[in-house]
Amino acid sequence: MRIVSTLASLGLALGLAAPVHAALEVLACEPEWAALVREIAGDRARVASATTPSQDPHRIEARPSLIARARNADLLVCTGAELEAGWLPLLQRESGNARIQPGSAGHFEAADFVELMDKSQRVDRDMGDVHAAGNPHIHLDPDNVARVADALATRLARLDAANAAHYAARNRDFQNRWREAMQGWRVAAAPLKGVPLATHHKDWVYLARWLGMRVETTLEPKPGIEPSAAHLAEVLRRTRERPIRMIVYTNYQSPRPSRWLEEKTGAPAVRLPYTVGATPRATDLITWMDEVVDTLLAALK
Amino acid sequence: MNTGLEWNILLPAWLAGMLVLASHVPLGRRVLERGIIFIDIAIAQFAGLGVILAHFLGWQGGWRVQAAALLLAAVGALLLHGTERRWPRLQEAIIGVSFVLVASVAILLLAHDAHGGEHLREMLVGQILWTTWDDLPLLALLNGLVLAAWFGGLRKSALGFYLLFALAITASVQVVGVYLVFASLIVPALVAHALRGGRALLAGYLTGAVGYALGLLASARWDLPAGAVIVCVLAVAGFSVAAWRGLVCRRPPPVLD
Repeated sequence: MRIVSTLASLGLALGLAAPVHAALEVLACEPEWAALVREIAGDRARVASATTPSQDPHRIEARPSLIARARNADLLVCTGAELEAGWLPLLQRESGNARIQPGSAGHFEAADFVELMDKSQRVDRDMGDVHAAGNPHIHLDPDNVARVADALATRLARLDAANAAHYAARNRDFQNRWREAMQGWRVAAAPLKGVPLATHHKDWVYLARWLGMRVETTLEPKPGIEPSAAHLAEVLRRTRERPIRMIVYTNYQSPRPSRWLEEKTGAPAVRLPYTVGATPRATDLITWMDEVVDTLLAALK
Repeated sequence: MNTGLEWNILLPAWLAGMLVLASHVPLGRRVLERGIIFIDIAIAQFAGLGVILAHFLGWQGGWRVQAAALLLAAVGALLLHGTERRWPRLQEAIIGVSFVLVASVAILLLAHDAHGGEHLREMLVGQILWTTWDDLPLLALLNGLVLAAWFGGLRKSALGFYLLFALAITASVQVVGVYLVFASLIVPALVAHALRGGRALLAGYLTGAVGYALGLLASARWDLPAGAVIVCVLAVAGFSVAAWRGLVCRRPPPVLD
């Protein structure tokens, strides 16, 4: 006990002694969370993202710089829900950094704070079954981003109590701007309501739900695994029964499957930016979603 | 089965396979004859490197990326042609080393800029089921060119073989992927290796055509990934024919022509 309290007071002393600008070191797993940390922490955090906007977050390659960043990180901000299951546990182990190990305050998983879709273990081919925990592409639902922002502000305040007020104020500001932006998207995207579409992977189901669009079918339910002819026959059968208006895929996916369905159905294949930074215009969360909504609306014409 | 046979899906894929086979069966016989089995994978990597270089030059999509892929594949073919002339006995090892070398250079180039990575994957793991009718004319043209040049006399020149090989591989790997390209080259050649001339080609083409057809049907019937199941069916077909011909009885293989 004495050791613990000694360490605690030592930590407190160090914390107090540190200069005001000593920023938290944050390693985000994906660019969308890096962007969110920037919104809420401002200059109180130095943020890096483990993956780039053009990378499939399901898989990345380890580099020394990534392990070095993990070693120094005070906070890891990831999606969770097994999205990073292929590489994050390894990175945490390699880092030897106790602050960011699973279960500690320095390991923030956004999926803990939202309701995941596709959670049921349905044996439906079209839902796929890659992520038993549920669909991890949660940032594609703007309401989720707002929830995660609240949780992130709380977590930052817990890790860096001295700046708690700063984080709370910036979060309030972000929430206001985000709410206003959401209102704008809802109004602008009214023509998208009820529009049927197909997706390459099942990532866009969150946005489709938020906008009231109907996902009729998915081309490649398991990322990286080529589909069977039987699955594609089922896709075609569905699109004949319930014609789709567009096929969406992300900037990091091959356009070939979507173009294939485009040829078969006549509905346009639409490439959407998956996250912040995927296009020159998508510099932060709001401009990114602006671009997504505009691209969908353009495809409708 | 309601979900079973959808010709609109299976037919373009099968035709793409036939176009790939058209050039790969004769080329594969030469590959086997020269004992340079992994040359297709090495050449495909060179083409992939071309795609990455095109990305670094800021070239977007379309024909310029293809031109870069073809150019690098041709450079690789020329290099390997040179090494074969100089060190014929080391050629297989040199091909292996050039494969890992080019693949590693690609990884290094992409280490700090992941943008090209998806293009590379796209290039090397083409999936046969995504073949559309629109893909077929170009594939037919390229493979027709290769065949015409091959039987028009280029097969007599080692350099001609390497260059045609670069063209055929660059075109086919993007449509059907590395595994199927490898199987399409080697399995029919193995089946036909004891035969000569027209009969050898016929045996190769038949094995390939039946393998692709049965593989695609199996993919539809049992809901299996198409490329992987075609490779398996091709291998089983090849092995069956080989067993039937008594090759497993350790008869010394006849001299190749």
